[in-house]
Amino acid sequence: MQNSTKIITQHWNDINPLKIEDYLNVGGYKALHRFVKKMSPRQAIEEIKKSGLCGRGGAGYPTGQKLEMVGVSGATEKYFICNLDESEPGTYKDRMLVDYDPHLLIEGVIIVALSVGAYKAYIYINGNYKKQKDILEIALAQAREKNFWGAGILGSEYDLEIEIFSGAGAYICGEETALINSIEGNRGEPKLRPPYPTDAGLFGKPTAVNNAETIANIPWIISQGGEKYAKIGAACSPGTKLYILGGTVKNPGVVEAPTGITIRELIYDFGGGLPEGKDFWFAQIGGASGKLVVENELDIPLTFSRDCPIPLGSGAVLVVDKSVDIHDLILSWTGFFRRESCGKCVPCREGTFRLDEIAGRLKDGKISDRDKQAVYDILWTLNNTTFCPLGKFAATAFSDAISKLKILGD
Amino acid sequence: MEIKINGKKYAASEGETVLDVCRRENIPVPTLCQHGKLKREAVCRLCLVEIGGKLVTSCTTKVSNGLEIITESEKIKKAREINLELLWSDHAGKCISCKKNRQCEFQKLAEEYKIENFHFVPRRVEITSDEELNLVRDNWARVVVDEENPVIARTTEYCVECRRCINICPVKSYGFNHRGGASVVGTAYNEPLDCIFCGACVKHCPTAALTDQGDLENIVKDLDNMNILAVAVIDPAVLESIGNEFPGVDSKEKLASLLRELGFEKVFDSGWGYEKYVEALEQEIHPRRWLFQKNKNNKHQLIISSFCPSAELYIRKYFPELSGHIAKTLRPEELMAAAVKNEYARQEKIDSGNIRTVLISACTARKKLKSSTLDCIITVRELGRLVRLKKYNPKNIKEVQADKFLNGYDEKYEKMTRFGNLSEILKSDLAIQKANGVLEIKKVLEDIQKRELECDFLEVMVCPEGCGNGGGQSMKISNF
Repeated sequence: MQNSTKIITQHWNDINPLKIEDYLNVGGYKALHRFVKKMSPRQAIEEIKKSGLCGRGGAGYPTGQKLEMVGVSGATEKYFICNLDESEPGTYKDRMLVDYDPHLLIEGVIIVALSVGAYKAYIYINGNYKKQKDILEIALAQAREKNFWGAGILGSEYDLEIEIFSGAGAYICGEETALINSIEGNRGEPKLRPPYPTDAGLFGKPTAVNNAETIANIPWIISQGGEKYAKIGAACSPGTKLYILGGTVKNPGVVEAPTGITIRELIYDFGGGLPEGKDFWFAQIGGASGKLVVENELDIPLTFSRDCPIPLGSGAVLVVDKSVDIHDLILSWTGFFRRESCGKCVPCREGTFRLDEIAGRLKDGKISDRDKQAVYDILWTLNNTTFCPLGKFAATAFSDAISKLKILGD
Repeated sequence: MEIKINGKKYAASEGETVLDVCRRENIPVPTLCQHGKLKREAVCRLCLVEIGGKLVTSCTTKVSNGLEIITESEKIKKAREINLELLWSDHAGKCISCKKNRQCEFQKLAEEYKIENFHFVPRRVEITSDEELNLVRDNWARVVVDEENPVIARTTEYCVECRRCINICPVKSYGFNHRGGASVVGTAYNEPLDCIFCGACVKHCPTAALTDQGDLENIVKDLDNMNILAVAVIDPAVLESIGNEFPGVDSKEKLASLLRELGFEKVFDSGWGYEKYVEALEQEIHPRRWLFQKNKNNKHQLIISSFCPSAELYIRKYFPELSGHIAKTLRPEELMAAAVKNEYARQEKIDSGNIRTVLISACTARKKLKSSTLDCIITVRELGRLVRLKKYNPKNIKEVQADKFLNGYDEKYEKMTRFGNLSEILKSDLAIQKANGVLEIKKVLEDIQKRELECDFLEVMVCPEGCGNGGGQSMKISNF
C-alpha cells in the first residue's frame, strides 16, 4: 500500500464519531477558530481558490470559483447547501464520512457557509441514510453547545443556522437544481439554467451547493494553506479523493488516494488485485453512470480534468471479472435509470423506459435487428437531446458496453 | 441586434428566444410543450436547433448578437424523429376513434415527420408471449382514467406530458405523479378532479388526454329522432372561435344555418335570456340596496355576479364566507331553457318531454348547469366533433336568421352576450367592480374581506378575457 497523504480519512477509526471531544483532541475545529479569528471570508475563499480544489460530486467544477460567485453577490440573503444525497450505485463515500468523522464535515460546512456570507446552511441528506442523519443530529447538537454554530460563533459576529434536510432518496436530487427544488417543496426535478444557483438558487437567492466530500477538504485547506493542498495529486485537479473499490477485488471499501492515480494502482495496490482464479474483464469508473475501462486503459490517470478520457465521477471503481453475466449488469443499469429518471423530458422518460424493455429482451443474448437499431437511436437521443445530464449518464455505460465489449456484435 | 438563421440575417431584440424569432419570421420549428405565454418547460425536446454544432432547445435559448442558428439538418431531423417516435410508441394511437382526431397537435407532428417505424415497440414474432404480457402490463399500469365529473374527462393514455395543463390551471389542480417512465399527470393523491372547471386545461391540451365530458352520442340520436324537437340555444361567445373548427363559418347567421343542417329544428339566440337575466338581477340588487342604505353606517351592499359558474365554484370553494353574496338569479341559459320547456312548449302546443334543449357554449363550467330543463351543454370543440360525426361538410354554407323566441331579440345585449360584459348594462348609479381571471378575483375578494374595497355589484369572470376567451372555445392548432 502506498504511503499517501490523508486528509479526510486521517482520523477514521481513531476517534469516536459521537464524541466531539475526540475530534477536538486531534485538532478539530482549529480551522474554524483560525477562520473566525484570523481570516476574512474573502481570504478564506482566496485560500480555497489557491488550493485548486474542485467539486468531488462528479462534475469537478472549481470550488473556489463557485464560492466566490456567491461570496461577491451583494444579496443579503444567501444559502449554502451541503449535498449529501449520495445515490450513485456502488458509491458510499459520503456515508462513511459521516459514519467515521461527522465533525469534519460540520466544520467544513460552517467555514464555507460563513465565507460565502450565508446565514443558513442546509445539509441535504439522502432519505435512506437514516443512521447517518441521527449521527449528524447528535454531532450538530454537540457543536452548537460549543458555540461552533448558532448566534455569535466563538464570540464573533458570525451567525449561522444549520438544518438537516432529508430527501426522499431520489437519484436526480443529487443534481443541484433538483436538490433546490426538493428543499423548496417542489417536485425533485432539474430546473432550467440559466439562472444558475449561484445567481438565483434556493428560494431565488444566491446559493452554493457543494458535495460533502468537497467540504470535508476545507478545514485542512484553511489550517494548512491552499498552496500546500495544491501540491498534492494531479496538477489539474489537486488533492486527494475517496475511491470506493467494489466488485471482484480482494479488499473492497473506501480508500483515500491522491488524484492522478491510475486505475491499475487503485485495483492492484489498494484493492489487492482480483481474488485467485478470477480474470479481469473491465472496470466501471464512477457508478452506474460511469464509463467502462478495459485492460489496455488501466494506466490512465484519473483526474477531474475535462481532458481526462475517463471521468472520475463519484470515484466508485467497480471491478468486473469474466465470470459475470454482462446482461445482468446491463439490466441493473437500465433498471436503475428507468426508475430514477425524473420523467421531465421526453427522451429520458421514454428512452430509459424503452431501453430497459429492450435490455430485458437482450437477456438471452439474442436481439432482433429492429431492437438493435432502437438501442442505437435511444442512446443517441439520450446523449444529445436530454434536459439534464442524467440522460447522458444513462447512455454512457450501455454505449461503452456496445463499443468496447461488443455486446451487440461488431 | 442581428442573428443568422440558416445563413440569413434577421433582426432580434434582447430577451427574445430563438423560437420567438423563428415564429415571427415564419421559420418552421415544431413544438409540443410550448404554448403562448405559458412557462417554457423545454420538455418535449422537439424544437431543437443547432448552434455551434450542438443541439439546443430554441424555446429557451435567448438570442445574442451574431448568434448563428441552423433549424434544419440531418442531426436535427434525427433528433426530432426519434423523440417523436419515442412519444408515439407510448401513445394510445387510436386516432380514428379519438375525440381529437384531426384536431390533435401530436397527430399533426407525427404526420409531418412521417412516424411510421414504431421500432421501439417489438413485433409479435420478435418476443415471447411472456414478454408480450409484461410489455402490456407495463404499458397499461400507468394509465389513469377519470370521468367522475360532468365537465372534464381525463385519460393519460393520450397524454404527452407537455405540462401545459399544469401551468395553465388557475387553481393548480394538476401535477406530476410518480417518476421516470411511470410518471403521469394527475391530481393530488390521484383523487377525481374537483376543480372550478374553467376548462383552460382542456382548451390547451394538445392531445385527447383532457377532453370535454359529454354525451354527444345521445344528441346525435335525438337529432335524428323525428319525434323530438331539438332546440339549440346559441351563446354568442362561440363566434369568437367557431372559425377554428369550421373556416368560413364566421357569423351568427351561418352558425344558425349550420345547426339547422345538423338537425336542430329550432335555433335560438340567447338574447331573450340575457334580457330576463338583467331584469332579474336588477330586481335582486336594488331593493336590497335600498334597504341597506337606510342604515347610515353602510354605504354598499355587495352582490356578486353569478354569471360565470366557474367563478361561483371558486368563491364557494375558496371564499365560502362570501358565498352568501352571490346573486340567486338563474343564468340566462337556464332562464331560456326553462322558458322553452314551459311558455314556448305551451305556445307551440308541444309536450315538454319531447323537447331537447342544447346549449352551444364557450364555457365548460356551464356543463354543470345540466338540469331537467337544460338537457345538454356542448362546447365549440364538441360542436366541431358533432359536425364531423355527422359527416357534414360546412363549406359554402348559406346564412339564415335565428328563430324568433317569444318576444324576440334585443340588440342591446350583443356586447354582453359576446364577452359576458354585465357592468355596462346594469344601471350606472351602482358602484360596480370587475375582476377577470382567478388572480384578479382573489385579490378583489381579499380586499373586500379586509374592507379595503366596497361595491354594490362585483362582476367576476374566471377566464382571463371573459367568455370570448372561454374554456370551451376551440383553439387553432399550430405547432410550427
